[in-house]
Amino acid sequence: MRLLVIEDDATLRESLVKGLGKAGFAVEQAADGREGLYCAQEYPVDLAIIDLGLPEVSGLDIIRTVRAEGKTYPILILTARDRWEDKVDGLSAGADDYVVKPFHFEEVSARVNALLRRSGGWATSQLDAGPVSLNMSRQELKVGDDAIELTSFEYKIIEYLMLRAGQVISKSELTDRLYDQDFERDSNVIEVFIGRLRKKMDPDNSIKPIETLRGRGYRFALERNQSD
Amino acid sequence: MHSLSSRLLISVSVLLLFFFGATIAVLDSAFTGAGEQARRDILGGQLVALLAAAEPNDNSELALPSRLREPRFGQIGSGLYGELRKDDGTVIWQSKSALGMDIPAGEIPAMGNHLFARETMLDGTPLLTLSLAVEWEFDDNSSKSYVFKVAESMSSFNAQVAEFRRQLFSWFAGVALTMLLAFSLLLRGLMKPLRKIETEIGEIESGSRTSLSDRFPTELTGVARNMNVLIDSERARSDRYRVTLDNLAHSLKTPLAAMRALLGDRPSDEFGNRFNEQIDRMDEIVRYQLRKPAASVVDKLVLQSVDVEKEVARLIDGLGKVYRDKGIVFDASVKAGLQFRGDSGDFLELAGNLLDNACKWCAHRVRIKVAPSASATAVAGGMVLSVSDDGPGIPEDAAGVMMQRGMRLDESTPGHGIGLAVVKDIARSYGGHLSIQKSKMGGAKIIVSIPPLTSAQAK
Repeated sequence: MRLLVIEDDATLRESLVKGLGKAGFAVEQAADGREGLYCAQEYPVDLAIIDLGLPEVSGLDIIRTVRAEGKTYPILILTARDRWEDKVDGLSAGADDYVVKPFHFEEVSARVNALLRRSGGWATSQLDAGPVSLNMSRQELKVGDDAIELTSFEYKIIEYLMLRAGQVISKSELTDRLYDQDFERDSNVIEVFIGRLRKKMDPDNSIKPIETLRGRGYRFALERNQSD
Repeated sequence: MHSLSSRLLISVSVLLLFFFGATIAVLDSAFTGAGEQARRDILGGQLVALLAAAEPNDNSELALPSRLREPRFGQIGSGLYGELRKDDGTVIWQSKSALGMDIPAGEIPAMGNHLFARETMLDGTPLLTLSLAVEWEFDDNSSKSYVFKVAESMSSFNAQVAEFRRQLFSWFAGVALTMLLAFSLLLRGLMKPLRKIETEIGEIESGSRTSLSDRFPTELTGVARNMNVLIDSERARSDRYRVTLDNLAHSLKTPLAAMRALLGDRPSDEFGNRFNEQIDRMDEIVRYQLRKPAASVVDKLVLQSVDVEKEVARLIDGLGKVYRDKGIVFDASVKAGLQFRGDSGDFLELAGNLLDNACKWCAHRVRIKVAPSASATAVAGGMVLSVSDDGPGIPEDAAGVMMQRGMRLDESTPGHGIGLAVVKDIARSYGGHLSIQKSKMGGAKIIVSIPPLTSAQAK
């Protein structure tokens, strides 16, 4: 998952970037509105965290511009002004949720996870598809009743695929979203990881959770279990 | 007497009454004076004619011919009477016109003197009389004293005077009414710009106009200009206040967030927890102070008309996103076209906090109802807003406690207390109040009543 953090306060931004990086996200950052707008428009982003009180271009303007361009990724706003006027303005402009400063990091990461899950069409942080279940808050994958041990990168891939269950995800998208920018981009690495995931989740090749579409990418193939 | 026009009209009426009263008095006395003088002259002439007609008879007494030159002496009840008496009062001769009438003897003047008098006959007819006492010398050198008297009835003259007065009054009344009418028309024209200012201020208050227009007579342009400057500065002041608060919030809370972030980077320990507590306290104080109602700092002139339906829809839309996981069903019933008269931020704060609380506590359903209050008007607003949910509700004994600032019944749902306290403060600043009830859906029902704004309210 690639996140974008636009926040002008350096301490806060760095701490967010560090925390989110630790939580397994690839994080882009921008220190002012102009740079932030550029990143929000040009980078492949799964979710943006935008401070409303930015220098140069305001957070609201970034959100409006990005939404007007048809980008649909979730946006979480950070606001120091917790009058409803500001929150409603942000939400009406196209943001999906807000966190009021000063926040606990856990609050932000919980909202980020919820927004990512929702944007994939999942209602809870428990993603169930056939015998496979992924618990996002515990970062736990189970097939049937067996917990599967995963490396952090394997987890990132299966989480990404499951969040977008049914969609075709190209290799380059996976590399874009999962690697930090300075990582070496080698699509063969993805193939290797997918292979390992298949072996771990489906050793006897019976449920076939990940489909390969030649020349197009991968798809998490199991039907979502209807919840609620 | 608060209206300028009525003051002017009353002053003018008093002045007119005074001038016309004086004029009427002068004209009346001139008319009656001249009329009476003419009567006296005529009476003098008649008396001279009687004197001339008197002839001594054979008995050495004065006598008058039966036919006199003045025909009115010969007609009974003609109103002109003549009489000749001896100095002892015995009537020697009476004109034919005085037949059956009783001319009072009256005062006898000194010898050789004229005497005018107003006398009254027995039947009440007023008379103007002229008597003359003479010493008549007969041919035999004897002389006797006589009193010649002519009297004229004043009835017709009085009737003339009354008619004159009637006409005088009706003419003057007519003129006065016409003048007052003309004056009030003139006044209406003159007052038009003032009324226009009043109307435009009303429009500013109701939010359909932002400043006074510039088409006023020279005398009022200064007033209008200063008024606009005042309104602008008032607006700027409230904007500046808002911006200052925003900046203050931003510049206080970002460092607080940074402090918390720095704390989060180190392993959690006693120090960190206590530091976090202090950050929480500072945050609460800042939040509460910055969310205070804006209405206390804005004047009625800068109040806006807030489209309740639109703002509620915006809030529900936003909260629907925030609480998407709960799948809340919102049931909004807002009277179409209802306006909240006040600061738009205040309305959002009222409805936003109540809806947010309802969303936090509800199981699945949140209902918001906004209706105009019984005494509501378009200009002054006035509404009853109620938000209910199907959550656990608020126990009655806890309701009062919850309304105090920062008090929370359930620490696991943060911010509940501040929200309700802010709602209470804003409601109070608009002269309204808040009550907590049990909703039919099982949860809490919070009702905020905002009365129509009075001019004293905004202060």
